[in-house]
Amino acid sequence: MTRADLVWAALRRRPARTALTSLSIVTAFFLFGVIEGVNVGIATMAGAANPHHLLVSSRLSMGTPLPVAQLQRIAAISGVDGVAGLAMLMGSYRDPRNVMPVVGVDIAALFRIYETQMMAPPEQLAAAAHLRTGAIVGRMLAEHQGWKVGDRVPIQMPGLRKADGSSDMSFDIVGIYDRDQPDTATWLVANYDYINESRLQNRDSVSQIAVGVTDPARTAQIAQAIDDAFANSSNQTLTQTEKDFVDSLLRQVGDIAFVLDAIVGAVLFTLLFLTANTMAQSVRERIPELALLKSLGFSDAAVAGLIVIEALLLCGAAAMLGLTAAVAVLPLMTNRPALGIGAMHVPHAVFAAGALAAILVALVSALPLAGKARRLDIASALSHR
Amino acid sequence: MAAMVSLRKVSKRYRRGAQSVPVLESLDLEVEAGEFLALMGPSGSGKTTLLNLLGGLSRADQGEVRVAGARLDQLSPRALARWRARHIGFVFQFYNLLPVFNAQRNVELPLLLTKLSREQRRHNAQAALALVGLADRGAHRPSELSGGQQQRVAIARALVADPSLLICDEPTGDLDRASADQVLDLLRRLNREQNKTIVMVTHDPRAAAYASRRLNVDKGQLGDDATTVAAT
Repeated sequence: MTRADLVWAALRRRPARTALTSLSIVTAFFLFGVIEGVNVGIATMAGAANPHHLLVSSRLSMGTPLPVAQLQRIAAISGVDGVAGLAMLMGSYRDPRNVMPVVGVDIAALFRIYETQMMAPPEQLAAAAHLRTGAIVGRMLAEHQGWKVGDRVPIQMPGLRKADGSSDMSFDIVGIYDRDQPDTATWLVANYDYINESRLQNRDSVSQIAVGVTDPARTAQIAQAIDDAFANSSNQTLTQTEKDFVDSLLRQVGDIAFVLDAIVGAVLFTLLFLTANTMAQSVRERIPELALLKSLGFSDAAVAGLIVIEALLLCGAAAMLGLTAAVAVLPLMTNRPALGIGAMHVPHAVFAAGALAAILVALVSALPLAGKARRLDIASALSHR
Repeated sequence: MAAMVSLRKVSKRYRRGAQSVPVLESLDLEVEAGEFLALMGPSGSGKTTLLNLLGGLSRADQGEVRVAGARLDQLSPRALARWRARHIGFVFQFYNLLPVFNAQRNVELPLLLTKLSREQRRHNAQAALALVGLADRGAHRPSELSGGQQQRVAIARALVADPSLLICDEPTGDLDRASADQVLDLLRRLNREQNKTIVMVTHDPRAAAYASRRLNVDKGQLGDDATTVAAT
């Protein structure tokens, strides 16, 4: 028998109530971990986008292709240090649900522009340039699919119709690239010419054009120069930094961070009421027992402390369980190579914030009750039994 | 014999709304160490209020309360709690056992405030249960015990820290006659064999007859205390 047994006994007094309250707290903190993890993941994606690279899209819509001929005109603009036209397609391997982004591009040009973000051995890049069907795949995608250099992989590409009516293409994996953010190494990068010559639709077009610049300080001017160059053409462009592009993508689905934070706030606010109510019920039922402890010689502070510790134990243990579940589940929920999104994780800071929130919920719930227990008049509490 | 309890000119009033109702008026009382005192009187006469003052559960408005060598009216709340733990054992009418703990653990409760080891606490609780004749009931929860047995567990809890004074508030008020006699026999034995000082409030003259001295409390005053009986 120890003082800890007193706390444990209080929680066991109504096992069903304790179990249901714990379940609510576990669920709330699981949501907290997942939602804040996603929030941080999105912010990281936006933050990781390079503010010095430019992406050229059609001004009409992101889905409208641009003629490949624009590449040469963009390359000639002052300050441009390289261009790569990206033909973005979706492909699947063996199972229609096992999808991935397939990017047809001048591989060497792409890796030159993104040299600090996408890394592959030079000999592998050279091999891709010499083999028409060669492809370099992201390490995460390769590990996910079980691919290795030398494999020949058939990819089903529903968005690409070939002259023979099929939409299958085979690629020879000649290299594996790494990314500065490993979870985002999810592309199959193939030679533009191989894909372009195979397809009937959108031939000689690209989805986007990646542009490297000589002077990062001049990105805004260069972007303006590119858009001005095509202002009077039928293929007007919208040129943004990679970061602005990702930001605008995210803005299209609203202010995600605000919505997610609002959800978390509502969940924690509701949880506060639930926990406070449970604790209030529990303490109200035990007023004579608390008075008894005082009569035995437990000090006011000791009795109040028991209530605070009970709340901390209830909230803390359940919150840890919920956050741990979020840590385990979030990467599985978010690992979508098909969308070019790698696994998101619950950062340590979010875990710590969750633990802090649990402590706050426990304290806000318990402190008024602890104060009441502290002021409890023993004689009258025992006489009202 | 030294006085275990000494009250001088003690008054206590309760507030009921705007009214202040006197409960005890300028009361004097001495209880010697080793005495078994029964306080009798009608409901509302102030018996329990007097008991609460002796046990340090409430404070006098005026006067001097000295119990087991300490001036209770001068102790801080924290010091008063420590003093209760060291000197007082309470036995209540409705036992006040914690339903989630078995008898053994209920008896151990006061020992959590001591520096005894876990093993020593368990040993002392078993000894206290043996003293009240419930050595084989340690693993039973209160709901598995009869009223008389629960009250004996409560007495074991009151005794386990070896207090100077046992304070019993209607200890047989919720028991049938046979159980009540067992409890009263036990209290008398503790008084005679262990020399425990006991102050007991009761409505029941048969229960009061077990005490070595009886006092009437009426309208906040102590009545004639000349009746000293040899316990039957």
